Amino acid sequence: MASTDASPPLRARPLSPHLSIYRLTMTMAMSISHRITGGALYVGTLLLAWYLIALSMDESAFGAVSGFLNSIIGQIILFGFTWALIHHALGGVRHAVWDTGYGMEKPTRDQLAWATLIGGVVLTIVVWIIGYAVR
Amino acid sequence: MTPDDDSLRSPLARVRYLGSARSGAQESWMMRLSSAILIPLTIAFIWVMLSLVSKSYDGARAEIGRPLPAIIIMLFVLVGIYHMQIGMRSIILDYVHGRAKEWALIGNLFFAGVLALACVYSVLRIGFV
Repeated sequence: MASTDASPPLRARPLSPHLSIYRLTMTMAMSISHRITGGALYVGTLLLAWYLIALSMDESAFGAVSGFLNSIIGQIILFGFTWALIHHALGGVRHAVWDTGYGMEKPTRDQLAWATLIGGVVLTIVVWIIGYAVR
Repeated sequence: MTPDDDSLRSPLARVRYLGSARSGAQESWMMRLSSAILIPLTIAFIWVMLSLVSKSYDGARAEIGRPLPAIIIMLFVLVGIYHMQIGMRSIILDYVHGRAKEWALIGNLFFAGVLALACVYSVLRIGFV
């Protein structure tokens, strides 16, 4: 075995062109929003945990989380959580389609990106309409 | 596990921590597998949550105390947290460097583990206590 100090020095690793190089495209915007909604859902899981823990404890603990979720700020956060969940799920479907090699052509990839953006908003509103209807 | 002999990567690249440390494809595959499972689970989860909207404390407990909603929530939480843990790991590996990266990776595992345990414990407690 050669001694370790005989190894060549580390060179800077090549980096692929990044955000600042390209004009913003639809697929790029959806890729970024996929990561941002993923990160938001990561933090938002705390809300689900709070809800479940409170429900497992007693009525006053549940009253606190229920009061927060029914406040205006709580409803906005919950709406955002719903949208992030659905948007991220549809983004995952889009990526699964791309994984098969389908839909990478110029018009199709933008149509897929728009479809997930619009679909996410529409489905979120549908879920909330159902939510308010059964209230 | 021994380094596979068919690999085109040099032992030096491996030692210097460059590129996949042999299990990169596994993580990528598990991400896709958990995504696929999460699509029906997310629909089921939203359905369970919608059924809780109008419920009081006792009503919500009774609902989550039933086997099917309880299993749906626990599956969603377990697969979802596993999935988000891999996702946050790749975000950390992209943006955090040096010693902070090590702590962020550890913190990610702790966050995911504690949250998963807390959610599953709560659902079980609602059902059994």
